[in-house]
Amino acid sequence: MGFAFFLGAVLVTGLNAQQPTGSYRGVLDLAGGPLRFSLTLNADTSSRICNGAGSCGRISPPRSVRDTLFIAIPDYAASIIAVSSGDSLLGFYRNVGNRGPRVIPFRASPGRWPIEPAPASLTGSWNATFTQDGRTSRRVFEFRNTSQGLEGTVISNTGDYGNFWGRAEADSFSIGHFDGSFVYMLTGRLDGDTLRGLFHAGLRTQTAWTAVRSRGEPWLKPPTELTTADTSEVFHFTFADPDGKIWTERDALFQGKVVLVDIFGSWCPTCHDAAPVLAALYDKYHSRGLEIVGLAYEVSGDPVVDSKQIRLYRQKFKIQFPLLLAGINDTEAAAATLPQLRGFVSFPTSIFLGRNGKIRLIHAGFYGPAMEVAHRRLIADFEKEIELLLNESH
Amino acid sequence: MHRNSLKATVALLLLSQTLRAQAPAGLAQERADFAHWLATAPNSPLIARAFVPVRPSVRIGPDDAEVPFPGVNVSITERSGAIALEGSLGQRALSRNRLVSIPPLNLMVSGLPGAAVAVIYGGRREEKVPTYYSFDPTLIFTGPMQAAAEPHGVRILTMDGLETDATEVGSVTIPDGGAPTRLRVYRITDPGSEESELAIYFRDGTSGSGSYPAGRFVTLQPVANGTFRIDFNRARNPFCAYSSAYPCPAPWPGNTLQSNIKAGEQYHGAGTSVPAP
Repeated sequence: MGFAFFLGAVLVTGLNAQQPTGSYRGVLDLAGGPLRFSLTLNADTSSRICNGAGSCGRISPPRSVRDTLFIAIPDYAASIIAVSSGDSLLGFYRNVGNRGPRVIPFRASPGRWPIEPAPASLTGSWNATFTQDGRTSRRVFEFRNTSQGLEGTVISNTGDYGNFWGRAEADSFSIGHFDGSFVYMLTGRLDGDTLRGLFHAGLRTQTAWTAVRSRGEPWLKPPTELTTADTSEVFHFTFADPDGKIWTERDALFQGKVVLVDIFGSWCPTCHDAAPVLAALYDKYHSRGLEIVGLAYEVSGDPVVDSKQIRLYRQKFKIQFPLLLAGINDTEAAAATLPQLRGFVSFPTSIFLGRNGKIRLIHAGFYGPAMEVAHRRLIADFEKEIELLLNESH
Repeated sequence: MHRNSLKATVALLLLSQTLRAQAPAGLAQERADFAHWLATAPNSPLIARAFVPVRPSVRIGPDDAEVPFPGVNVSITERSGAIALEGSLGQRALSRNRLVSIPPLNLMVSGLPGAAVAVIYGGRREEKVPTYYSFDPTLIFTGPMQAAAEPHGVRILTMDGLETDATEVGSVTIPDGGAPTRLRVYRITDPGSEESELAIYFRDGTSGSGSYPAGRFVTLQPVANGTFRIDFNRARNPFCAYSSAYPCPAPWPGNTLQSNIKAGEQYHGAGTSVPAP
């Protein structure tokens, strides 16, 4: 709020002609070391923060007054404020926290990061054990080399943390994810057959982990076991679309059909990964009796604002099926509006209803294209489930 | 000659005092950020009007409501851990830890399931600026944390007065004059993220006579190889020091330093002075 006011004042004062533009090597200086990312600054809407090939987020074009640069990250009500020092930038990333501002030192210099891929001894899939305060929890790491160097993902029981990008040097590596809101970094080194390192969250949180190479055995809890539901009754919902039309499971459209209910939010990057897959499934199976309905849990709680977001989402992914405004973006809120679900944990969640309207399968989370193999396997699993349900009689 | 050397000595003295008094750039920036946040954030404690347990329902509205606030009439309820807001526009689900704007107020519901708390923000902002003791480099300690044999859960109030399940993870030993004192360290997680802080809530010789009587919070900053830095120049008041709307965390057992920690945030509130020992 205060920052918006400040920006307004900046606009009135007038802009400096020397806007920094082009590619920058960005760094957030966390307590545990530098988190590298790529920053593209342009005067138009093409300014971006990137964590590897094809994993970029939009930021506002930079505005500078004298030697101070302001970059807004509107999706997350966050900003980067820096001063020029020679051709470099030095400052802070910040957003409004609950117990004071959340501030992390930022720096950037012109140019692109070198491409530093990992040796084959590091790439592939790893079963990780996080240990904090004597308690352990499981993750899966997937590392691969791309045209940008080392990339990877960290996967928990409920999904992945987005794309990580970084570098390797001999047996050590460091990859990070900074999208304007989440700040994650994974650092480690190979010690015999075991990877050891730290997972960094935000400025200061560090969690120790070890990992061993996956041999394909199940390591995480399957996404179909996280959320359960009352399967004895028809799945009930009643929500309005952005035009105010009320939809329920009793509508003629859904009778005798296989229905995929997609619980999503336009704010949720993983949901953006899932949307094209759902649109393709709809194209492929609609003629055989598949209906899809999206239940949106949005940010503002203001139906006018939220409806606009849903319309944009529909346009972006050319979605043919109804998208309904179900509530606010919170696992508790979703659980409250869908009382038949137990253990609702994740956006998105896909609920498969048989032709009798009862829940047959719930898949919590989604594996995005960053997770190549798991992504392809998930699409295959979804298709198998839909085929199975379509072939059942009412 | 004599005069010049006197001048030089005075200049040097002044300089050394300035150096001692001035916080390093990083700390000065942190303090400026915090002052800016207090002065501008929509969830700043300086505009907190009420901090009310929801259980099971609370109404914000005209004079007869639990929370009187002109120009508003809404109810907040918690059922099976889910929060709902009811007003003239009907009912809607509400997220925890997310600020919602219901002009002319902002509100945020936080807290554990079954113990939700609504904090209401709005109206005139108190004009308070945090003040600090002079920077003291001798009150920065670096060392290992002695891990607890068995980390265990404790229910505490965080600096913003919310009840939370923290974990007692160990302790650190501070020289404290000549008699080393162990201070408990709790891990306090930030809801909705993977982030957490290792925090110490402590009292010392200045508590109630220069610093906040209930105590101050300081965090452990990881350095390397399992060691941490504790910088008492970064000690901060709980939010109850800014607004009487907030409940104050009770001091953590044993976390009292005998010496005067003349570093970090001060407190100038009325009625808190205690006779000098």
